[in-house]
Amino acid sequence: MNAKASPAEIFSRFLPLTSLLLIIIVWQFAATGGYFGKSLPSPVAVVNQFVDMLAEPVGKTILGGHIWASMRRVLTAFAVAVLIGIPMGLLMGWNKKAEAIIKPIFEIFRPIPPIAWIPLAILWFGIEETPKVFICFIGAFIPAVMNAYTGIRFTDPLLLDAARSQGANLRQLFKEVAVPSALPAIFAGLQNGLSLCWMCVLAAEMVGAEEGVGYLILRGMDMSNPAMIITGMLIIGAVGALIAVGLRYVERWVCPWKREISM
Amino acid sequence: MATRIVAAPGKIRSKNNSLVWLSAASLVVFFIIWYGLVESGIISKALLSPPAEVLTTFISKFSNRAPDGATLGAHFKTSLTLALTGYITAVVVGAPLGLLMGWYKKVDSIVKPIFEVIRPIPPIAWIPLAILWFGIGLPAKAFIIWLSAFVPSVINSYAGIKLTEPVLINMSRTFGATNWETFLRVGVPSALAMVFTGLRLSLSSAWMTLVAAELLAATEGLGYMIQMGRTLARPDVIIVGMLTIGLTGAAMAFILERFEGKLAPWRRS
Amino acid sequence: MEARNIDVKSEISCQHLYKSFPGMDGNVTEVLKDVNLSVAKNEFLVILGPGQCGKTTLLNIMAGLDSSDSGEILLNDVPVSGPNPNLGLVFQRMALMPWKTVMGNVSMGLKFRGVSKKEREEKARYFINLVGLSGFEKSYPYQLSGGMKQRVGIARAYCSDPEVLLMDEPFGALDAQTRYMMEEEILRIWEKAKRTVVFVTNNIEEAIYLGDRIVLLSRCPATVKAVYPIDLARPRQFTDSRFLEVRQKIADNTDLAL
Ligand SMILES: Nc1ncnc2c1ncn2[C@@H]1O[C@H](COP(=O)(O)OP(=O)(O)O)[C@@H](O)[C@H]1O
Ligand SMILES: [Mg+2]
Repeated sequence: MNAKASPAEIFSRFLPLTSLLLIIIVWQFAATGGYFGKSLPSPVAVVNQFVDMLAEPVGKTILGGHIWASMRRVLTAFAVAVLIGIPMGLLMGWNKKAEAIIKPIFEIFRPIPPIAWIPLAILWFGIEETPKVFICFIGAFIPAVMNAYTGIRFTDPLLLDAARSQGANLRQLFKEVAVPSALPAIFAGLQNGLSLCWMCVLAAEMVGAEEGVGYLILRGMDMSNPAMIITGMLIIGAVGALIAVGLRYVERWVCPWKREISM
Repeated sequence: MATRIVAAPGKIRSKNNSLVWLSAASLVVFFIIWYGLVESGIISKALLSPPAEVLTTFISKFSNRAPDGATLGAHFKTSLTLALTGYITAVVVGAPLGLLMGWYKKVDSIVKPIFEVIRPIPPIAWIPLAILWFGIGLPAKAFIIWLSAFVPSVINSYAGIKLTEPVLINMSRTFGATNWETFLRVGVPSALAMVFTGLRLSLSSAWMTLVAAELLAATEGLGYMIQMGRTLARPDVIIVGMLTIGLTGAAMAFILERFEGKLAPWRRS
Repeated sequence: MEARNIDVKSEISCQHLYKSFPGMDGNVTEVLKDVNLSVAKNEFLVILGPGQCGKTTLLNIMAGLDSSDSGEILLNDVPVSGPNPNLGLVFQRMALMPWKTVMGNVSMGLKFRGVSKKEREEKARYFINLVGLSGFEKSYPYQLSGGMKQRVGIARAYCSDPEVLLMDEPFGALDAQTRYMMEEEILRIWEKAKRTVVFVTNNIEEAIYLGDRIVLLSRCPATVKAVYPIDLARPRQFTDSRFLEVRQKIADNTDLAL
């Protein structure tokens, strides 16, 4: 393309930005016009609220503290889920006997949404940290197991043959062929699990917590402060997007043979 | 001359059979452990009910309103109606929107930025705002469930139609089809697989969000039932509710899959 | 590196091989029916047969990856009962590990046998060089063209130092131009590092261009239909009149669409 783009082209290039800007402007007017009363804060109010929360505590801690409280729960649960779930999924996918033993029990639990565990978790573990970490654990555990399991089951038999003809024994087939070929599926499971985890921590915190982003938006509701809720929501979205991007970088580092797949 | 030995299919079957027995044994052991843990007092009955009690509660909840105020059937009906209403209205709007977004660049560049902001926010995070806006009743829940099903159905239809083979599009154009005809006859069918992926994800998302919404703000429904089970310290009620939620979700996914097989038979490989 | 033209190599033979697969509807498909053949030391034997006739099945059985229903494979008079380091296999669909570099793919057999990293890389480098891929040691398969991928496959088969190389339509997935080039290449490599070769193809020109001898298989179930010794001097010319004569003779005896 040459340097001189036609006006139409320039317009279409900036269309996404324009549309976002337009939405914000419409939102601003709608909010200040008073059609929605106090229930719709203006974008300016949201920004103000955000800046306030950076330094001023809501409940026990400031914004950063709430984010960290949620992150800590998610990361603990995620680490445990991955450490147990992936080996279990790999074992199930590789060994027919292990599959026959684990799969039926797993299938009872699999369709139950992690959030439906909240009441039982509270009954079992009270309302402190444990039930929240437990819920997040369930959220990440199921996709971790499932994806490792399907990933290894769909190992190309041709590659297994190739390794066998090169003299690989069973252990080497597993380590050198099955596991690497399951890695992309495993990472898809981790992506999935991490975003479920993030959702679960919210739900768990909304049911009962004293800090965390879920607490933050629920507090906003109790205080009838929509600006606080919307700020919280935007932060939840941003953190969720950031951890997804982070995991994608880890994947690119672990699986350098995978061609770039654009969004 | 060597005689031929044809591999006996019976041998394969008997191996499969032994695996089935292993699965059955594993389930039996699972229930025995569950039973043993509770009956021996290692886990208190206040925390976990034995399998038999869960079964009795399940059966009695068909007619019994105690302890949570409604029969299992009533809770089930409330939840299912709400979930399906939200789900269907969401995908009816979402899937076509996603397809149009992926096909028409203008629509794409207008809608996508807004979408990119909303997308990473879990539907559950909308609950407080929805309650503030609509109060604690039905509209708030309907809104959240709608949203939870809407987002995946848009994203997947969008991604699906973007992946249409350019060769097919060109082929259609050389036969003189208009853009709209190409969209309908080439773009949409080739995106169908992804559209269905979206429908599946939307369904499980809607079902999960429903549970969350009912946990937080409801007076009836399966989510409410398990929440009441906790308040009343009745693990049997909670477990019955959880199993019903799981079974219903699995059943809906199964029906959708069947439906997909009917609608896009060429996809089976 | 020491000279790799070791004179004493193995001979391999198939005796009364039968193989059938259970079909979906309960009945069995017979794929191999009394296949007998023997390959002399350092011979370049080509197995020529139509698509879907059982060539891959035969080669997999020879490589010890699959078992026959009856009959046996003898490698230097010893029955083959499983994968054997003396049998190298080049696959029709390349079968390179996408997560391994060229170096990793070529040296994997040595790694499986516990050869030290330094030693196996040295050896792999020799064969990577032999197939003309020096400089690509660190590339992943997705970065290579089809011809280059199959060169990796050939180097990998060579690198375990097998006495017999089994090649299953190695050039079937290549475009015509690359295919001609690879046919020349495989002869060059073979002349430099002589092995007993069993080369499978469905292409009659390729068979005559390469083989010391051609074994012609029938349609499914495969049996040996005829054996043709090719005593044309190498390099052979596709347009040579004696080449065309042989081609005609074989073509008259096949069901290959020509
Ligand atoms: N694992 C298998 N199960 C069932 N049928 C098979 C299997 N492998 C090969 N076949 C059948 O055996 C026949 C020969 O296959 P193959 O050896 O791949 O032929 P070729 O390599 O000559 O093209 C085909 O009809 C194929 O469908
Ligand atoms: Mg073949």
